[in-house]
Amino acid sequence: MTDELVTIEVDGRELKAKPGTMLIDVTDAAGINIPRFCYHKKLSVSANCRMCLVEVEKVPKPLPACCTPVNEGMKVSTRSPMALGAQKGTMEFLLINHPLDCPICDQGGECELQDVAVGYGSDVSRYSEAKRVVPQRDIGPLIATDFTRCIHCTRCVRFGAEIAGVRELGATGRGEHMTIGTFVEKSVDSEMSGNVIDLCPVGSLTAKPSRYKARAWELTQHDSVAPHDSVGSNIHVHTRNNRVVRVHPKENESINEIWLSDRDRFSYEGLNSEDRLTQPMVRKNGEWQEVEWQEALEFAVKGLQSAAGSDGDQLATLVSANSTLEELYLAQKLTRGMDSGNIDHRLRQSDFRLDGNDSPVPGLGITIQGIESLDAALLVGSNVRKEQPIIAHRLRKAAKSGAKVSFINPLWIDLHFEADQFVSTPAVMVDNLASIAKAASAKLTGNLAKLVKAAEVSETAKSVAEQLKSANNGVIMLGNQAAAHPDYSLLVVLASAIAEATNTSLSYIPALSNSVGAALAGALPHRGPAASLVEKCGANAQMMQSKPRKAYLLMGAEPGFDFWDPSLINSALDQAECVVALTAYHSESLASCADVMLPIAGFAETSGTLVNAEGTWQSFNGLVKPQGDARPAWKVLRVLGNLLDIDGFDQNSSDDVLEELKSHAAETAIDNSVSTKTAGELNSSTEGLYRIGDVPMYASDALVRRASSLQRTNSAEPAAVRLSANQAKSSDVEEEETLVVVQDGNRAQLPLIIDPRVPDGAVWISSALPGTEKLGGQFGVVTLEKA
Amino acid sequence: MTVFKNYIKSLFLLELLKGLRLTGRYFFAKKFTVQYPEERAPMSPRFRGLHAQRRYDNGEERCIACKLCEATCPALAITIDVEAREDGSRRTSRYDIDLFKCIFCGFCQESCPVDAIVETRVYEYAFEKRGENIMTKDKLLAVGDEHESQISADIAAQAKYR
Ligand code: SF4
Ligand code: SF4
Ligand code: SF4
Ligand code: FES
Repeated sequence: MTDELVTIEVDGRELKAKPGTMLIDVTDAAGINIPRFCYHKKLSVSANCRMCLVEVEKVPKPLPACCTPVNEGMKVSTRSPMALGAQKGTMEFLLINHPLDCPICDQGGECELQDVAVGYGSDVSRYSEAKRVVPQRDIGPLIATDFTRCIHCTRCVRFGAEIAGVRELGATGRGEHMTIGTFVEKSVDSEMSGNVIDLCPVGSLTAKPSRYKARAWELTQHDSVAPHDSVGSNIHVHTRNNRVVRVHPKENESINEIWLSDRDRFSYEGLNSEDRLTQPMVRKNGEWQEVEWQEALEFAVKGLQSAAGSDGDQLATLVSANSTLEELYLAQKLTRGMDSGNIDHRLRQSDFRLDGNDSPVPGLGITIQGIESLDAALLVGSNVRKEQPIIAHRLRKAAKSGAKVSFINPLWIDLHFEADQFVSTPAVMVDNLASIAKAASAKLTGNLAKLVKAAEVSETAKSVAEQLKSANNGVIMLGNQAAAHPDYSLLVVLASAIAEATNTSLSYIPALSNSVGAALAGALPHRGPAASLVEKCGANAQMMQSKPRKAYLLMGAEPGFDFWDPSLINSALDQAECVVALTAYHSESLASCADVMLPIAGFAETSGTLVNAEGTWQSFNGLVKPQGDARPAWKVLRVLGNLLDIDGFDQNSSDDVLEELKSHAAETAIDNSVSTKTAGELNSSTEGLYRIGDVPMYASDALVRRASSLQRTNSAEPAAVRLSANQAKSSDVEEEETLVVVQDGNRAQLPLIIDPRVPDGAVWISSALPGTEKLGGQFGVVTLEKA
Repeated sequence: MTVFKNYIKSLFLLELLKGLRLTGRYFFAKKFTVQYPEERAPMSPRFRGLHAQRRYDNGEERCIACKLCEATCPALAITIDVEAREDGSRRTSRYDIDLFKCIFCGFCQESCPVDAIVETRVYEYAFEKRGENIMTKDKLLAVGDEHESQISADIAAQAKYR
């Protein structure tokens, strides 16, 4: 085929197009509207609805524009009597079995069938016989179905097969008896399932959490950025009466295309949770009291000053990397203004031995879109599909076009593409990586050189090293479980050495929506704004907890759920004189240890900026008023700064804060370089039963933990002890038995589930779930006892 | 001469009599004053008075919470909140018409796909307290229940013109 363009004529307009392009793509690009139902630009062509019929000169019958390739000299008319007649006929057939009860349909007002019927259909129905009725089906708490309205466009089915990679919805029966359903009666559980709601042209699939909540015409649409994973998916937030009613994806080809993960789509429900803190609260004589802001702020300032006023090192600031850039910047400014260097956002990390030699601004290092053109990827400690669904979707595309993807993980993960998984206990993960390093003849020194020398080169290691070496465009990615690994520093140095030796690049998949921003804002003990190393290095998250300080400032983090070791942070906070918590929620876990709780605005309530995994800065506005007396966190920090008499706290808007930070960090890019070739001793061991504590998809932050519909999905499983069948036998325990888990003297009672995804020698106990909030670190030795 | 004419006119009060002739004519003519409240003016079936929400014969409320009336109301007088009832059907959990805002245009009735919201012939109502101007769903349904026979007769009479 030549690259030359052909000329076609559509409705008298001359258009140029590549030969072989489908007619509908050409007309869409030219802004000529052709009605359609089954065609969707992101899905394969199935050409089954026949709504897109147009007339083509010298062809006796109308042709479907979505599957008619263009060729030279083609003359098309989309509005000729023949085309209009064909469209009208199709419309009439479609409506034969479609109920005409738009007034009770949730899609009414934003329905493609309505629009097309008004534009291309007839005004009265000639059909008066009985219509088809399909029994209701319940496919889970996120998607409401009404398959009687289905027009069998199969977009949802194609989405499952082509995009989500799981065939969850399928069509059964033929002709009038064709119905859409889940194959095995159960629910739809994909982490991207919500997208079928947008794809379905009619009201057959609609959003359950926002069902009946509002009509399309009552909603105000605002642009914003999703607040969970580090992709920073662009979203439309729809509000009514100062409430967020629903969230839709906003098209951004370079970030989320047109997709949105369920977590980003449905987490807004957490905003209206009953747990919201709406009034400042202080603890007086052991009792929580609601007070005015003035009093609460003065209380907080007095507490901080008396505990850490004379010795800055007594102040420890722990912030969630889901906070905005502005908040993180002010938090570090306040901390450093109090003459303390103790600030950290890496609440889920335990190994900080690399600090100083670590990557200054860890991030993807490639663009999100660029993931698609990879030809080899090695992921270390990442359940990418659950943690970063959009990145996983891009990886899947790469894998589909031939990229070799492999994983070194402590757990088998469910994937929707072809990949090799090397699963072992955490300690052996390091050996596995070392063995790849050896196969790739990576250059290392000291300890690691010894480790690599001792490693055995397995066949798999050889093949992975080979794949990376032969790749033009390869990466080694470190995920959440690598970051939480007790030997993170070893993993990083090994990975960077392998990357160097194989001429691939080192890449981090940041965990939270502003992990990259936190590094830029300077929310680190050893690096200030723009990731410059500071002279006086403060204590890292681990040290702040293991050597308790007198005063703690927490922002957006819940002790039992957002920390690597809940028992450690709890005991540190219990010993403190003053704990000031900036929080959007009144959580048990904070109420038991804090002294002041200042209510801050949640997602969509505050303006701010998030920096995503590839380093794109994305700002957004506050869209609804914060609930009750809550205030944007940057304002709270600003006032705290003033009351503490620290210079440089007189910004009038979040934009001012952003400008100030930009003057330091606007030019700072992602930098994954690691400036050492060695690391310390191995922390993890193969002795005893080793806990693997991941963070489940719907437990990753305070907002999503309160999103009631997401919490009812099958993906939100309650805490349990998971063992492989072998391990259960050798530990002499049985399925469904209740066990007592003992970790560092902390105990929790949990049911046992036999799970083939866990390697022998390890036990999988997720963190951040009710039931595990009193246990120890995410990784570590545990013992199991019978209850 | 003019002076003399004017003198005669004012002496015999001719102008007054001229005016009284009109008064006299109406004095003896047939009266059209309606003795409200003992008497009532005739009323068109299209009269647009107080609103009502109707029910089906089996007692089920008609309104399906489609919000079309709310959308069409030019005075923004209608406020609706929707929820799924226990049986899953779409129903209003709140249906308020603010009679201070309403301009009695009848668009709500016009837009309703199930003839749920109607404007009745009732025009005798007054408010004594703030807040009484809001016709809630219960009040509207009560009006509907009370006047259903008249409402359905009116709708039937108008059916052929719609
Ligand atoms: S449920 Fe919706 S998307 Fe799926 S086939 Fe039916 S109309 Fe199409
Ligand atoms: S009569 Fe007109 S102004 Fe009054 S509620 Fe109905 S639509 Fe609104
Ligand atoms: S009164 Fe009629 S138009 Fe208004 S919401 Fe109810 S059904 Fe819809
Ligand atoms: S859009 Fe072309 S056949 Fe459906």
